[in-house]
Amino acid sequence: MSNPLQSLDPRINRLGVHEVTPETLVPKTGLDQFETYEAFLQKREGAKYEHVGPVHAPNEEMAFLFAKEQYSRRMTCVGLFVVKTDQILTTPFGPNDNSIYDLLPTDNEVVSGDPQVWEVFHLKKRGIQHHHVGSVSAPSAIVALTLAKETFGAERPVVNVWIIPESQIRFTSSEEKAIWDTLKDKKYRDAISYKVQDRIDRYKQGHPNLQSI
Amino acid sequence: MKPEALKELIYKMADDLLILGHRNSEWTGIGPLLEEDIAFSSMAQDKVGQAQNLYQILHSLGESEPDIVAFTRNAPQFHNCQLVELPIGEYDFSLVRHFLFDTADALRWEMLTISSYEPLAQVAKKFQGEIRYHVLHAKTWITQLGSATEESISRLQLALNYAFPFALGIFESSPYEKEIIAEGYFGGEELLKEKWMEKIKSVLNETQLILPDEKIITPVLGGRVGIHTEHLQPLLDEMTEVVALEPHAEW
Amino acid sequence: MYGGGTVFENTGFKEIQQEDPALLAAFQERIDRGEKIEPSDWMPDMYRRQLIRMIEQHAHSEIIGALPEGTWITRAPGFRRKLAQMAKVQDEVGHGQLLYSAAETLGKSREEMINDLINGKSKYSNIFNYPAFTWADSNVISWLVDAGAIVNQLANAKGSYGPYCRALDRICAEESFHLKYGHDAVVHLATGTPFQRKMVQEALHRWWPPLMHFFGPPDKMSIHTEQLMRWKVKMASNDDMRQQFLDMYVPKIWELGLTLPDPILKKNLETGKWDYTEPDWEEFKRVINGDGPCNKERLGVRKQAEEKGAWVRRALLNPQAKYVQPLA
Repeated sequence: MSNPLQSLDPRINRLGVHEVTPETLVPKTGLDQFETYEAFLQKREGAKYEHVGPVHAPNEEMAFLFAKEQYSRRMTCVGLFVVKTDQILTTPFGPNDNSIYDLLPTDNEVVSGDPQVWEVFHLKKRGIQHHHVGSVSAPSAIVALTLAKETFGAERPVVNVWIIPESQIRFTSSEEKAIWDTLKDKKYRDAISYKVQDRIDRYKQGHPNLQSI
Repeated sequence: MKPEALKELIYKMADDLLILGHRNSEWTGIGPLLEEDIAFSSMAQDKVGQAQNLYQILHSLGESEPDIVAFTRNAPQFHNCQLVELPIGEYDFSLVRHFLFDTADALRWEMLTISSYEPLAQVAKKFQGEIRYHVLHAKTWITQLGSATEESISRLQLALNYAFPFALGIFESSPYEKEIIAEGYFGGEELLKEKWMEKIKSVLNETQLILPDEKIITPVLGGRVGIHTEHLQPLLDEMTEVVALEPHAEW
Repeated sequence: MYGGGTVFENTGFKEIQQEDPALLAAFQERIDRGEKIEPSDWMPDMYRRQLIRMIEQHAHSEIIGALPEGTWITRAPGFRRKLAQMAKVQDEVGHGQLLYSAAETLGKSREEMINDLINGKSKYSNIFNYPAFTWADSNVISWLVDAGAIVNQLANAKGSYGPYCRALDRICAEESFHLKYGHDAVVHLATGTPFQRKMVQEALHRWWPPLMHFFGPPDKMSIHTEQLMRWKVKMASNDDMRQQFLDMYVPKIWELGLTLPDPILKKNLETGKWDYTEPDWEEFKRVINGDGPCNKERLGVRKQAEEKGAWVRRALLNPQAKYVQPLA
């Protein structure tokens, strides 16, 4: 085995890192990553939940932990939830100026079963995030979609719809909301807390013949 | 008011948090998976931020400014427990340390919310939410890895066996223990340790991990009175390397 | 952070001429209307492949980009710098996660992408193959490399692919902190003690050549550029972005009395463009193909991180788990 690489980074030196050579490259066998969960965030009390992005996680508890740090490190947050991506029923994407509901075939199939709650999310325009519009009660996701059209379909345009079973969602408990209490104190992470113009001005005053355009 | 006792209490807490935050920051960019890398770094920042808050309280009690106090002392002047200065090792050790320390720290902060010293009580209340996440994170990881595969269980068990004697050093009695309790600053290390053992046991019961028997373990003490392992001075030298280039400069 | 000089290559798949002309026309119309393309839309093979390559390289750049500044996390001077340095490097990892997720919506798994990074198949921004010798180097990177990345990202945020745009919106918001932080640190050094000033001046001289390489070679050396611009995959020419960067940041460097190691660097008031010594594009090619000061270390660190973390992923992986693409 070759000698470890010398780094300028003392923590890297402590790790004893070696050069990657063709012999040391062992191809991965099988799946070496986790399933995805979609994360949704509520910025303020009363605001709509908005989709923020995915995390890869082995289960929903981990997904919640990961989403909290990946998507709510800044600004404000009062609630977060995660749901496994494959639990979300999605429609295709319609054009920007219409309603995707209009382009869906009507499903008149009668479905029996216990009603569940389904959360409905709309994408108003291509390129932005989905936001929450409300919930419906239905025995299946397809029926939920039909109900969503009846209940929320008037809001146009609607480019894309997500139907999410409430039972599959890992919500933030009311006690957990405190985890965002100190978010506003982390000023070192905010651009606005770095004010340096005075220093520059003082320097310029003391050095009148600086190079410029 | 017993200022020496109060300062001792706050110093050891601040030193614990600074050194552990520093150690945990070593994982930034090289963690076992991206999402966890991000989470672990946030918690490291929280710890360093909490340390800064505590050094600020010390400053209001007459000590030097936080940057001076944190970046110019040497190992014998630090009162952190030896657990936090140990190298990061592999992720199994770092997770076990995170679990053992953060569980104790959360209980400590909770006990401090009723401290007779108002600034300390206020800061303790402020951090309740932050710590809640740290404890949730630690508990989730230990519970899951502690029952997952033979490999993860044995790794965690070895790490636990190694870390436990050091963890007992968290509760090393302060030279001012009696005053700290009598003045109502804090309920004391013994009480904290009791609560901690209960919490640790309840989490470990949900795993295949076995808590080492406290009765036959010698706790690793000395940190609270400035006696440290060979790891602390190099850590401090590294931490202060740039500051030492120009000690009175602004960076 | 990412600069461009994206390596667009022929990847041997359905060529444009083989695509259904009606679908192709509708696809182009959508882009021309300013409508974003979303994951389940029909798209030409070449669009998909080139986007994967571009977003993937961007993601790798973030992950590898965490390493030069990561060099100085444990030694950051004082609480404010310590906290900010941790947060900045953390952000780079976070950006990597966002970008891998965006690329995944196009059909390549994160695992495959990381594999290709480690085995050398996929590239990352060349600037990270250089070492951050001093604390001042780290500050120069935080300011000027991120500044370059912002020029690139702001352009790409107006691109055609929805998931990439969403990721870039989040990234741009955080980059403003990086830029301000880096600038703040450089200003403190430049207006500090003679020792500090010397340290940042030397760092600037070291990093200027890589910064001039940052946006990639002049566009006449790039292939497929025209098609990719029509598809709003490539949003601005490398030279345009370089000019923007010089326009915005050279005055800010000069106003601190700092010098740059290019004797002819000057804004030509007649042409309105900056004159500069043409960078050494042979060196650029050499370094990006493995012969830079830190290439081995960057990949070595990444590979080791993957290997050391394998037991964690193995332990938590559910045997029934299957690969699922993110939605948006």
